[in-house]
Amino acid sequence: MQQKIHRVTFLYLKVNFFAMIEFIPRYWYNIVPDLSRPLPPPRDPEDSNFSRIELLNSIIPKEVLRQQFTAERYVKIPDDVIELYSLAGRPTPLMRAKNFEEALDTPAKIYFKYEGATHSGSHKINTAIPQAYFAKEEGVERVVTETGAGQWGTAVALAASLMKIKSTVFMVRVSYEQKPGRRTMMNLYGAEVYASPSEVTEYGRKELRKNPSNPGSLGIAMSEAIEYAINKGYRYLVGSVMEVVLLHQSVIGLEAINQFDYIGETPDVLIGCVGGGSNFAGFSYPFIGSKRGSRYIAVGSSEIKKFSKGVYEYDFPDSAGLLPMLKMITLGKDYVPPPIYSGGLRYHGLAPTLSLLVRDKTVEWMEFSETEIYEAAKLFARTQGIVPAPESAHAIMAAIKVAQEAREKKERPVIAFNLSGHGLLDLSYYQKMEAK
Amino acid sequence: MKKLLVSYMTIGYPNEEDYLNFIKKADELGTDVFELGYPPDFAKYDGPLIRKSYSKVKSVFKNFSELISKSRNFTEKKIIVLTYLESVQNNLDEFLENVRSHGADGVLFPDLLVDFPESYSGYIKQISEKRLEPVIFVSPFVPDRLISEVSALSRPFLYYGIRPTTGIVTPVGIGTLVKRVKNLIDNRLIVGFGLKGDDDIREALSAGADGVAVGTAYIEAFEAVGLKGALDVVKKVRNILDEFE
Repeated sequence: MQQKIHRVTFLYLKVNFFAMIEFIPRYWYNIVPDLSRPLPPPRDPEDSNFSRIELLNSIIPKEVLRQQFTAERYVKIPDDVIELYSLAGRPTPLMRAKNFEEALDTPAKIYFKYEGATHSGSHKINTAIPQAYFAKEEGVERVVTETGAGQWGTAVALAASLMKIKSTVFMVRVSYEQKPGRRTMMNLYGAEVYASPSEVTEYGRKELRKNPSNPGSLGIAMSEAIEYAINKGYRYLVGSVMEVVLLHQSVIGLEAINQFDYIGETPDVLIGCVGGGSNFAGFSYPFIGSKRGSRYIAVGSSEIKKFSKGVYEYDFPDSAGLLPMLKMITLGKDYVPPPIYSGGLRYHGLAPTLSLLVRDKTVEWMEFSETEIYEAAKLFARTQGIVPAPESAHAIMAAIKVAQEAREKKERPVIAFNLSGHGLLDLSYYQKMEAK
Repeated sequence: MKKLLVSYMTIGYPNEEDYLNFIKKADELGTDVFELGYPPDFAKYDGPLIRKSYSKVKSVFKNFSELISKSRNFTEKKIIVLTYLESVQNNLDEFLENVRSHGADGVLFPDLLVDFPESYSGYIKQISEKRLEPVIFVSPFVPDRLISEVSALSRPFLYYGIRPTTGIVTPVGIGTLVKRVKNLIDNRLIVGFGLKGDDDIREALSAGADGVAVGTAYIEAFEAVGLKGALDVVKKVRNILDEFE
């Protein structure tokens, strides 16, 4: 494996990108040992007559579960996973958005980490690969998951295909219908895709009986995927919220640190959009842990007021209540998010570690509307050439705010945001906004 | 140095006679410290078996302090009373005085650090003022800095809960976790909370644990075989601990 990596390094060397492969970190970073207070553990509800924590044993790959409960600050990335990261497009570029800065007429420097450059088009592949890898290691033939906007489902479909195992994806019905491109991409990678609620699970059938035209939600799709995995003896892959996902996503921030060190720059402000919290955490936690930067901004949607209206309490991460309760900022497991286009942000909860960091004010938050982020996306596309995913456009909007603030205060901060995915399969959103 | 056996039992479980016999015999078979579960309103971080044992005794007994006194008649070993701070915080002084006067030497609140991170030191002071030893519960979910800080305050040892809940086995790297925490502290380390089977115990001891806490395994054995089964577990664990002297 090492030899293969060195061969790749050599190829990069020939085209003067020697450092590129070396930017991929060899360890993931876990923030739990560095938090200011203990992380409330997962738990069962008071009236429970079975252990949901025990249930995790039968649905989640063992090594993934071990990493979920680890206290190690650094967890070694298997060499095979590093090679697959490289195959899937890592390291992703860290770029300076000079044209964008000029358009904003700001003294601030703005950098972005472009996770849209991975082959699946978003950061989701960073955890799909190790989870599929660990599932394959224990001899599983099929992995199951849910997807909202489609980025996670696409990543799982690709990761499973790379590991030569099968995949099944429950896709929220409204996205299934609105985003045929995503569905096609998953099918192309070899996944079996069901619109959720579906007829293939008891939970789905129950939802359809209640409302035959149910548009679906991430919570329902998640419940269907878990039920399907339990009944069929497959393994369920987790897309966000759980600490192990945040751990795997730390590859983004660690890689960005290597890249910033290489160019001799240190960002002051780190920004990312937030659904369950994994791309923000993956990008910013390594900076928080190594005390790089002074402001960390999590950006949500003002249509789903998780930060401004959410409550910090134990809640289920899934609508059916099959998974252990987590203490987190939440709008309630039964909350039905409005049908905004940023499907990745349509989720009721916030990862437990991120909830703690928001509460102790290490991380600040902003919320923006679909209209505001459309303008941000347009400016970014016109100045930098990249069409961002609408979710990622929330981070762009926050970068604009900070850059404008810098102009007013005559400060020169270095801003870095995570551009978590491209929007080339979200063009119908842009069409809709254009028509407004 | 001799490795410590900390035996947990829900107060009054499964009935008064068997419970007191368990205390007496478990003492003779080599228990070093008793950890007695005082039924809380909600045993939120416990697994289904311990929760069930609390429900059972709550339906039978009203006065658990009296049972602590009776336990004291059968053992001279340390008695640590375990309950959730959430259940007793409103009348903490009264609770502490009560268990102390009935023979307890210390208390352990598994929710102290997790749910009261800002005020834990005040509670520890309050416990000490009542001449009780505060046994502090830490876990892989507790940040390193805090583990080091509270370790110095925990007596007669620091309790490390290895898994998220009692009695439920999830894949954890016991050896790695124990070694990590040993490096952070200067105190005796007892490992428990979800330790399951001989291999888990040996792994914890090999990594440097000064003893183990056993609870769910006794209750499981009580349910399956009765008192004799629970005492067999005490013997078995004692033997493993003695391999490491």
